[in-house]
Amino acid sequence: MKAAYIMQKEIRESILTPKGFLWYILTSIILSILSYLFLTNSELSLLDQGQMLYMIMNFITALGILIGLVFGSDAFAGEIERGTLEALFLSPVKKTQIAAGKLGAAIANWVIIFAISLPYLFVVGKGGQNLLIGIAYLAILGTLLAIIFSAFSMGLSARIKSMKNSLIISFFIFLLAGSPIFLSAALRKTWFGRVLDLINPFADAINTFDSVVIDSQGFSYQAGRVAIICGYTLLSLWFLKRSVSRLEM
Amino acid sequence: MKRLILALSSVILAITVNYAYAANRIAVSINPPFVQANMGDKITYTGTITNNSDKAANNIIAYISLANITQGKESPMDLEDWSANKAIKIDAIPPHGTYEGKWPMRLIDSGSYVVYITVVDKNSNIPVSSEMSHLDIKRILRLNPNNVLPVAIGEPLLIGIVFMFIAIKRGNRVN
Amino acid sequence: MITVENLVKRYDGYTALDGLNFSVEEGDIFGFLGPNGAGKTTTIRILTAIIKADSGNVVINGHDVFKEPMAVKEIINALPESNGYYEWMTAREYLEFFSNLYGEEMSRQEIDSLLEAVGLHGKEGHLIRSYSRGMKQRLGIARALINKPKLLFLDEPTNGLDPKGRRDIHDLLMDLNRKQGTTIFLSTHLLDDVERLCNRIVIINYGKIVRAGEVKKGTIEDIFFLSTKEGML
Repeated sequence: MKAAYIMQKEIRESILTPKGFLWYILTSIILSILSYLFLTNSELSLLDQGQMLYMIMNFITALGILIGLVFGSDAFAGEIERGTLEALFLSPVKKTQIAAGKLGAAIANWVIIFAISLPYLFVVGKGGQNLLIGIAYLAILGTLLAIIFSAFSMGLSARIKSMKNSLIISFFIFLLAGSPIFLSAALRKTWFGRVLDLINPFADAINTFDSVVIDSQGFSYQAGRVAIICGYTLLSLWFLKRSVSRLEM
Repeated sequence: MKRLILALSSVILAITVNYAYAANRIAVSINPPFVQANMGDKITYTGTITNNSDKAANNIIAYISLANITQGKESPMDLEDWSANKAIKIDAIPPHGTYEGKWPMRLIDSGSYVVYITVVDKNSNIPVSSEMSHLDIKRILRLNPNNVLPVAIGEPLLIGIVFMFIAIKRGNRVN
Repeated sequence: MITVENLVKRYDGYTALDGLNFSVEEGDIFGFLGPNGAGKTTTIRILTAIIKADSGNVVINGHDVFKEPMAVKEIINALPESNGYYEWMTAREYLEFFSNLYGEEMSRQEIDSLLEAVGLHGKEGHLIRSYSRGMKQRLGIARALINKPKLLFLDEPTNGLDPKGRRDIHDLLMDLNRKQGTTIFLSTHLLDDVERLCNRIVIINYGKIVRAGEVKKGTIEDIFFLSTKEGML
């Protein structure tokens, strides 16, 4: 219950603010431009709808991760820098409850991004293959990735106690996670590329979207990658719990 | 003079024999020879590589090429978006054996194209190419761009309105 | 009320507290004095169960601070030295939020009377961002009173306030101590605060107690002078 009050405070502080809404308006404008280009520009509309749906899903996932990282970086370091964390620690609330409330708000943020993206997914994927199953996978894997990256950056923010530094490291991790996209198809087919893809939760998610939406493959093909993502989720929660319980002012 | 003619003849004969040897040793054909399809379709080309010699052919590389021959757009195409399997490495083809390679392809743009498969054998200086398969792709857009406009314009506006509503409600609570 | 025995805290080889021993009686306004960097804030953070000590014992109202931190937090509260505020909240929202964390939903009247007690009545609907430093300090005290603590820790509560602001805080603390019997642990380096408010003091430097005793009017400057002369401060 106390975690719910923290979550409510975080939502009011970070989501229901001009800055929070600016993020969401920007998200929807970018998605508007992307979908409009997909469906009207002849060069881009050469891709079939499955391909477009897959690309939009990747974009939404990346955006969810990115905003989750910003959210997480501010969680503890931001409060320390603003001098507000000590009053929270003085209240009879466990540090893990504070972390749970903050993580809850980060997940709420992802849910809003997902909700914003739904109309675009339907417009772009309408009449194409695997629309609903694709959206279901995005909902589940996107939530897990939001937890992984937000929890990781929250843990980092509790350890480093500097918002700027934890943000820089988080962005570096984000670029690292997104790096397979920059690798050529040939390099990704080598054993090194495959291992890199497998141990990277973001790559696991986009490869799963590819397999589900474009190749119409069933859950048995996805199980391994989904299991790795679940493993990362547990690992990130453990990291957050450990970092927060060690946090001292 | 006679000696010069003899020497030149020997050189020409040697080149011809070598070329004939290479051409005969490996042969490649492409199937289907003609394709008419729509944009967005997926088709597969099959390349049959035959080793005509008595020796095994080792470490052969076969790759597919696509050239746009539409009037005014003549150019070779980058196959990155069309097909990920550009090249196939074949470890060995036994004497008088054949190898069948598959090249799936997603048809990305409309126009007239030629497709051919080339085989490179490191024991030969001359690459061997198949005959050209003609590919005609019709332009077809199954998408309805009008669907996107209400969402593309409406959603950012809607979020803006929700924000204004929350801001006004909050403003009323704060003195 | 508070018993501190052999309290030691080290940071990366630096000893912030070096075997601190003292006790605070119920009903005291206990002055905790010392120059900057003496270890005052570290002591308060340990006593309020925010950080852990490397060794030693702290018992508050019969509860071991290290073993029962939540039980201690229920009966104490504090105003830290550099207390930040959720500036986007109104004073009422701020107090409501913290009262929820104590598991007690305060009524509108309760919040009003608390704000009235700290002199913020009529300002409860204003955003904290519009408050002056003195108003924020009063709000901080209101937050620290939200659970009706038996023991209140205040770390430099009058720092940066003008004479009137300081006098108001003094009156408020005297009232709390006399009318509600709240024990106050006051960390300060302002001799005026000590002389007006405290009945007992401890002076620390380099994490060690250099003087301890009762405060009699007009003696505090002598105590400090003596401590300085003896090379303790």
